[in-house]
Amino acid sequence: MSSTTTRLVRGAERKRSRRELLVAAGFLAPFLIILVIFQYVPVGLLVKNSLFGYTLINPDLQTFVGLENFARIFKDPTTLQTILVTLIFAVGVVVLIIPLGFLLASYLNRPLPGRGILRTAVFLPVITSSVVVATLWNFLLANEGLVNAALNSLGFSTMSFLTDQSLALPSIIIMSVWQQVGMATILYLGGLQSIPGDVMEASTLDGAGGLKRTFLIVIPLLTRTTVMVVVIMTVFALQSFTPAYVMTQGAPGGTTNLLVYEIYKQAFTLQDPGFASALSVLLLVGAITISLVQMRLLRTRWDY
Amino acid sequence: MTQLASQQNDTASGPETTAPEGRLGRLKERGPGRLWQRVWTSLVVLAILIAFLLPYEWMFASGLKTQSGIFADISPLSWKTFIPVEVTFENIIELFVGRGVGRALLNSFLVAAFQVICSLVLCTLAAYALTRIAFKGRNVVFAIILATFMLPAEALVVPLYQLISAMSLQDTLLAVGVPWIASAFGLFLLRQSFEAVPLEMDEAAKLDGAGHFRIFWSVILPVVRVDIVTFVLMIFLFSWNGFLWPLVAIQSTENTLVQVAVAQSVSPGALPNWGLTFAGASVATIPLVILFIFLQRLFIPGLARTGLK
Repeated sequence: MSSTTTRLVRGAERKRSRRELLVAAGFLAPFLIILVIFQYVPVGLLVKNSLFGYTLINPDLQTFVGLENFARIFKDPTTLQTILVTLIFAVGVVVLIIPLGFLLASYLNRPLPGRGILRTAVFLPVITSSVVVATLWNFLLANEGLVNAALNSLGFSTMSFLTDQSLALPSIIIMSVWQQVGMATILYLGGLQSIPGDVMEASTLDGAGGLKRTFLIVIPLLTRTTVMVVVIMTVFALQSFTPAYVMTQGAPGGTTNLLVYEIYKQAFTLQDPGFASALSVLLLVGAITISLVQMRLLRTRWDY
Repeated sequence: MTQLASQQNDTASGPETTAPEGRLGRLKERGPGRLWQRVWTSLVVLAILIAFLLPYEWMFASGLKTQSGIFADISPLSWKTFIPVEVTFENIIELFVGRGVGRALLNSFLVAAFQVICSLVLCTLAAYALTRIAFKGRNVVFAIILATFMLPAEALVVPLYQLISAMSLQDTLLAVGVPWIASAFGLFLLRQSFEAVPLEMDEAAKLDGAGHFRIFWSVILPVVRVDIVTFVLMIFLFSWNGFLWPLVAIQSTENTLVQVAVAQSVSPGALPNWGLTFAGASVATIPLVILFIFLQRLFIPGLARTGLK
């Protein structure tokens, strides 16, 4: 090949790749423009707002306060309680949902009579809106509600699930577990079905019984799934808002005052969006950290 | 993230995918323990069904009762608690005539339809570019998009409110839907299914003189149509069930979405009317429950890939 043709070919290639780039830009532009406007710009605005004190009624009247909003997070006992409550809520949901999701998935992975309806039943709350779930549970747990009616007919006395300081947070944890356990079950079912059949047969031939097989083989093989469930449920719990808004308004005594509910109140009721932004930054950093840890963990090989 | 999803590829679990455990389990089942095992299994199945379905049953049934009827039937507990003996439609009528729930349902449907159509256009186009066109910086673009997957939507409510106010969009249905149409989750879902289409199909079309848009429209899209249905269901689900953002973005009653309307009928202050609230919650839930029961198989692969966004 002479040098002229090489140059010609290269020139054509460069022209082609430039055209490809233009076409790609055309295909991507609508998505990227909207993404930047409604995801990246708000993140920037959020960080900026967190350094100011202002109201939503008169947003132009801003005063720069530096890191004061962040300092307030760690000085204000109410906010500290909010963070603590949100963390307990997240831990509670995760700790309950992992074994329950795994058990349900193991059950549903077997040939059972009526497995189809069972699966639909467990997944139904996942596709039901958080508002409807909270509304329903509000009535289930009310003093004159269904759960107390059942307790009464069994001879127990009425319990004030949503207004007793020691019961309110556990109640909304259990409600959230009921709502999300189907999600964990879907993920564990996928994990269980990806375990090769010969691994299970080999372990049985080696004389591993049901329990032994579950703890020594199945659970370790599902480590990746467990990491995912933990992360998804933690992020879900950190973002929960509806139970506090619909059921308890953060009461009694702030024991169900979830972080996002506090953000909502600070911004839209108490007219302190600067402080709400600082709290949002905290949530953002928390969620991103958890996701990054997940990616790190999933990149590790969990081969056995 | 890619690993995360590829592991979950086969989550759509049908009864035909019998796990090895079943076969081994059955071998062991012979013996005296078998009857007890069956009794135990049935009890567990029953308990699960009660725990998950009975609350719904109670909700739907109570929506057809009067306030006093609900309280009379609940204590003592009996079959009447769950079956409306004297069915009344007064709650439903009050909802649609007095409370304008029809309007709220229509608003929710309009927002969801808008979100589905726009995100379908945006995400399919972007997914095509990211899987079928070789250009410099493709991975960077994908990283920029995937990074937003980690942003919790709830953290962005305050600046988004400011943004739509600056655009004079507050209290419009457009403002409820538009921030979410560039869905990283949706793109992620479609990118995976686009990648599964063999590149040979593009090559063949290219030899026939087809350009990128032709390949996109008449080669790729027809092949991935099942995944597109999953995509549509997911976007519809997220939109229909959304609460915090519609609560913040909309102030007027005529633009209210159905979830906000339900929440406000229980919320602080006034004592809620149980029958009316149950009926409202039922109306807000039934469309999705019906969709889910019939299209479960298409929902589940999508749900398995959510970070619940």
